Amino acid sequence: MCPARRTLSARRTLRARRALRASRARRTRDDHRTRSWPRPDQRALVLPPLLFVLVLLVLPVVFIALYSVGLRTNIPGTPTAFSLSGWQDFLFGGGSAFRGRFVYSIEIALIVSVATTLAAYPLAYFLAFVARRRRYALLLVLLAPFFTSYLLRVIAWQIILNNNGVVNSLLWALHLRPHGSAVSWLIYSNFSVALVLFYTWIPFVALPIFVVLENMDHRLPEAAADLGASRAATFWRVTLPLSLPGVIAGFVFVLIPTTGEFITPLLVGGPNNQLFGNSIQAFFGDTPDWNYGSVLAITLIVVVVVLTLAFGRFLQTDLRADARPQS
Amino acid sequence: MATDGPLSGRPLNRRAFLGGGTAFLGGAVLLDACGSSPGPSPGTSPTKRPPLSKESGSLSILEWGGYEAAGTKAQTNGLEAGKTYTARFGTSGITYTYITNDDQALEKATAAGPFDIMHPCHENLPDYVSRGLVQPWDTSLIPSFDQLNPYLVRQGQLNGKQYMIPWDWGYGSLTYRTDKIAAADATGWELAWNKKYAGKISLWGGASTDFEIAALKLGFPHMDNLTTGQLQAAKASLLAQKPLNKFYWESEYSQMQPAFKSGTIWVAYSWQDTLVAMRSAGLPVAFMNPSQGRLSWLCGFMLGARTQNYYHAHDYVESYVNHDACAQMTNLYYYGTSNATVKPSEIKNQALVTALKLGDPSAIAASDVHLQAWSPNRAALELAWQEVVAA
Repeated sequence: MCPARRTLSARRTLRARRALRASRARRTRDDHRTRSWPRPDQRALVLPPLLFVLVLLVLPVVFIALYSVGLRTNIPGTPTAFSLSGWQDFLFGGGSAFRGRFVYSIEIALIVSVATTLAAYPLAYFLAFVARRRRYALLLVLLAPFFTSYLLRVIAWQIILNNNGVVNSLLWALHLRPHGSAVSWLIYSNFSVALVLFYTWIPFVALPIFVVLENMDHRLPEAAADLGASRAATFWRVTLPLSLPGVIAGFVFVLIPTTGEFITPLLVGGPNNQLFGNSIQAFFGDTPDWNYGSVLAITLIVVVVVLTLAFGRFLQTDLRADARPQS
Repeated sequence: MATDGPLSGRPLNRRAFLGGGTAFLGGAVLLDACGSSPGPSPGTSPTKRPPLSKESGSLSILEWGGYEAAGTKAQTNGLEAGKTYTARFGTSGITYTYITNDDQALEKATAAGPFDIMHPCHENLPDYVSRGLVQPWDTSLIPSFDQLNPYLVRQGQLNGKQYMIPWDWGYGSLTYRTDKIAAADATGWELAWNKKYAGKISLWGGASTDFEIAALKLGFPHMDNLTTGQLQAAKASLLAQKPLNKFYWESEYSQMQPAFKSGTIWVAYSWQDTLVAMRSAGLPVAFMNPSQGRLSWLCGFMLGARTQNYYHAHDYVESYVNHDACAQMTNLYYYGTSNATVKPSEIKNQALVTALKLGDPSAIAASDVHLQAWSPNRAALELAWQEVVAA
C-alpha cells in the first residue's frame, strides 16, 4: 500500500474513532437523562416484574434457605427447629462426598464451558464474516436441533453411543473392532457427559459471539489492515478484544446452567459421572431429606450468584447496532 | 442512579425498596409459619361423601410403569388389569404419576400429591399412615376382596384397618447371562462385587434395596434394621461395589432391560419379570437363587386420604384384583397375585410356577427369602446412599 493511501486510511480510522467516542458520549448523556425515574403513572409498570421476581425467584430461595436450617420440613408431623447440622456436615463433616461431587461438577462445567466457547468462536466468526448472505439461514440450521425436546436429544445420544449404537456398529462394519466388542468409554463415562453437554450448549455460545461480531464496526479491522497489521494481528488485537463481551456472555451461558445440570449425567453418565445437580435432585425427588438437599441447593445458588456478579462486570458493552458511530 | 421518585405517591429509593421487599418476604414466611402444618389429614367423612354419580371420576394414580389400566394409551405391555374399570368409565379421567423405586414413591406421595390411589410396596405402609397420606379401604365395596389370600391381606393392615389391598408379590435377585457368567461365580449376592465383571453390572438405584443387598452379602441378620456400625459397613461395601456398575438403573423397561438385551450389562438386580422378558428375547439368562436368599416383596393399592373419588377408587382396584385380571398379570409378568382363586394350573409356564412358588403367597416370608420390611433408620440410610452415589 502506498504511503499516501495509508495516511488516508489512518485519517479515516481516526475520524471513525472520534465519531465512536462522540456517539458514546451522547449515549451516556441520554442514559443519564432517561435513567431518572419515569413519570408517576408509568411507575406502576414496575410492579408486575417486581412481584414476578419476588414471588417466583426470591421467595422460593428464602424457603429453600429455611429448609436448609431446619425451620421447615417436608415430612408431615416432624417438629422443626433451627439447626445448622446440615451445613456443618456439608462444610466440615461427613459430607465430603458431596464436596467432592461439587468440585467434580465445577471441573466438568469449566471444561465444557471452555471447550464449547473455543469451538463456538470459529462457528460464529464464519457466520459473521464469511457466510455473509447465508448467515441467517445457516444460523437457523445451527439452531434446528433445538426445535426438538432436550430430553429426546439426550436420548438420541444414548442411541448413538450405546454398546450396540451407531458408533460401535460403524466400527464393526468397518472392521475397525471385532464384532461385539464395543468401545466401553463411549457411554456412561466422563466423555459421554462432556460430549452431550458440549453439543447441547454450542448454539447458545455461538449466538452471543455472533451478535457481537455481527454488530462490530467492520471498519476497525479494515483500518488495522490498512495500518499494516497482518490478519492474525488484526484478529488478536482488534476482532478478539472487541468480541470478548460475547465470548464471556457465551461462557457464562454454559457455565451457570451446567453447574446445576442433572438430566445429561442421569441418562448418559455412569455411577461415577453424576454431577452435583443429581445429588440435589435425588434429595428432593428420591429421599425424604429436603433439608440436606436445601443445603446443597443454597450452595449452588451462592456459587451461581457469585459467578454472575464476577462475570457481569465484563458484560457492560452495548451490543446494539445503533451504538456504531455514524459516518 | 435515581434515588427518589414517588411510587403511588410515595418516594421510592433503594432503602425503601429493600425494606418493602424484606417486609413482603418476612410476611410471607410468617404466614407460612403460622399456617397449618402439613400434618395428617383425615379422609372425607363417610356421611359427607358424595355418591359415585357425583364424583368427577378424575383419578390421579401413583403407579409403576407397566401397571397402567388396560385401554389407556400408557398401557403398552398388554396388561389387562383395569379393563372392567375403563370399559365402564373410560380412560380420559385417569392420570398416572410414575415411580421408579419405593423411596421415591413415599417422597412423591408426600410432596406431589394428593393422589387418589397409590401402588407402593408394603414395607413403607407405616410411613404412609403416619404422614396422613392414606385412609382405610371399605373392603365391602371391593367384591373380589373375599377372594384375596388372607396372609397377604394381613400384611396390608395396620391398627386393625385395611390400608393396603394387596395385589402383586415376587422376588428380587440378580438376573445374569449364563453364557457370560461362570456358574461358580453366580452363587450369591457377591456376584455384584466380582471384579471380573466390572462394567457389566447394574444395581437398582433404590437406596433401601441396595443396603439390603449389602447387608445380606455381609451376613447381617436384620437387613432392614441395621445398627450404626452395620450401616457404615454396608455403605463401605456399596462404595467398593460402585465402580463395578455400568450404571444404577432407574427405569426397568426403558433403561435396564434394553441395556441387558444389548449386552451392555450381563448382571442386573431385577424382579422375575426381567427373567421372562430376557428369555423371550432369546437370551440365555438365569434368576439367581443366592446362597444368602433372595429378596421378596409385596405391593398393593392404597387409598388417598383426600380423594374426591372414593367410589371410583374402589371400582378401579376391583378391576385389578378380580380373578381374570390377576391371572393375566401373572401370565404376563410372572409375579405372584393376591387373588387366591387363581390356580397354578392357570399359569402357562409350570416350570416358573414351581421355581418361584407362584401358587403360595406365603412363600415370600419363607426362611430362604427375605421379605423387605420397614426400616426404623430410614433417614440415616437415605443419607448414606446419597453419599455412596456422590462419592
